[in-house]
Amino acid sequence: MTDQDKEKVYEQAIKQAKNTINVASVLVLAGVVFMIQLTYFPQFFSSTDQNISAFDTTAVDPMVMTMDLDPTEIENGIHVPSGLIVDDGVDLVIRTCGVCHSLGLVTQNKADREGWKDIIVWMQETQGLWNLGATEDAILTYLANNYAPVDEGRRRNLEVLEWHDL
Amino acid sequence: MDKKNNSRRNFISKSALAAFAALAGTKIVFGENFPSELEPIGLDELETPEGIPGKSDALTILNNKPWNAETPPHLLDPEITPANLMFVRNNGIPPTEYDLEKWTLTIEGEAAQQKKTYTLKKLYDNFAHYTYDLTLECGGNGRGEFNPPAKGNQWGLGGVACTRWTGVRLKDVLNDVGLKSTAAYIGYYGADTHLSGDSSKVVISRGVPIQKAMEDESLIAWAMNGEAIPKMNGYPLRLVMGGWPASVSGKWLTKIVIRDKEHDGPKMGGQSYRIPKYPVPPGTKVPDEDMKIIESMPVKSIITYPKTGAIIGKGQSFEVRGHAWAGDLKVKAVMVSIDFGVTWQKCELNPPKNRLAWQRWKTRITLPEFGYYELWARAIDENGKGQPMVLPGWNPKGYLNNACHRLAVKQA
Repeated sequence: MTDQDKEKVYEQAIKQAKNTINVASVLVLAGVVFMIQLTYFPQFFSSTDQNISAFDTTAVDPMVMTMDLDPTEIENGIHVPSGLIVDDGVDLVIRTCGVCHSLGLVTQNKADREGWKDIIVWMQETQGLWNLGATEDAILTYLANNYAPVDEGRRRNLEVLEWHDL
Repeated sequence: MDKKNNSRRNFISKSALAAFAALAGTKIVFGENFPSELEPIGLDELETPEGIPGKSDALTILNNKPWNAETPPHLLDPEITPANLMFVRNNGIPPTEYDLEKWTLTIEGEAAQQKKTYTLKKLYDNFAHYTYDLTLECGGNGRGEFNPPAKGNQWGLGGVACTRWTGVRLKDVLNDVGLKSTAAYIGYYGADTHLSGDSSKVVISRGVPIQKAMEDESLIAWAMNGEAIPKMNGYPLRLVMGGWPASVSGKWLTKIVIRDKEHDGPKMGGQSYRIPKYPVPPGTKVPDEDMKIIESMPVKSIITYPKTGAIIGKGQSFEVRGHAWAGDLKVKAVMVSIDFGVTWQKCELNPPKNRLAWQRWKTRITLPEFGYYELWARAIDENGKGQPMVLPGWNPKGYLNNACHRLAVKQA
């Protein structure tokens, strides 16, 4: 390892440490706010029907859901390990779709809400996908918002990543 | 891979797993029917060394579960595609344990005279050996360009290869078993396992009409390019039937059924490897009964030299070359355009090494002046059918895109 490499590793370590501290601060702050609310406004947290609320993702604050991802793994709005766009419901997609296949199969495909629904139905009919219950709505919203088709006509322009002298 | 990269990957993988562990503890989002014994595997690639076993890291990976990867066109330049560069199109998980002594191929079915089982040694010893260069192309090669998009792996140009296959003729083995007069179709079964882990589920079982199975070039092969078949491409035994969607050439072959009707294994019916019986506007939902099975693949060509993005010096001429193939047919002509299809220059075209092998074509090009150009290649088959310059007929699953290959060059 060259000195330059070491320097890069140190830089990265410091960056990660800073990130961790930032995240910890946010979490502590959120915890304090939560405790205050719990103490003074307990009615906000009482659930009338445990079974339904347990699976009703639409009742979950999306911020709470995305907080589940490790912020150090998010770069430019992409959750690096999965390659998925970070948005409400991304953790649901990781945990549901990632059970059986590469998440690359999500990121390379494009469809509208109906198209994604068709894909889910196809996986249920032929590939052993289970009934997604109340999570399906949030998953479809995520997919339709973030992996929608783009009209590229009958032929798209060529992209050249690297020009080289012949 | 250098050490630093490695430790970074380990870091990602450990923290990803930690994230999963933490998430699994939350009950909110799993849904009541989530099979709780399953672990998320979408991040698997981070736990294994980078890349596909036995394959060059120059392949473009489309999917890691199951492995699917294609070859960048410039790496398809050799006459015969090197084993580590041949594309990978898996539907399930390849077998991991191989006992070559115990590996058997069983032939049976309602149109077989008898049920017969062969060891690898018996196949090797009892039948004449043949070697052919055979072009295998994924039916979905080029899918990534369809609009509106079709679901599935978004293949570019590189789901194709021509390699040198050695084995026995399928027809010799079928004749040894004996065909009833009702024999209409064959279907294969392989040793790969379903992604869901359900061992009772067949991953894929496709086949061909008996006429295609009985052709001289339809092989039960154990060698590719003079060596064992790569594990990702069907080791130790597979079918090879050039010119048709590669999915008819079953990998990790263990069983062939001789049917008295069209084979009905998984991915034969529904919309799989099928196109509409009549042309449809892009985006149409086509009912299953209006879909037909893809047989011979359409005429197609690729430019393997130069690589896209070449800058050519003023006044220089340069060679442009590639391969062309046409399913069951021969290619009659290949031409190249440097002016977006306004004029075409005829290329030299070699005959195929044998039937169903791709054909080398080449020409020399001089760009007239400074500027941006696109090289377009267009092949025409022996029946006069050529490649379209825009996308061919849209179909729901995005098969058979044989639009002409284009690449970008500049004159300095």
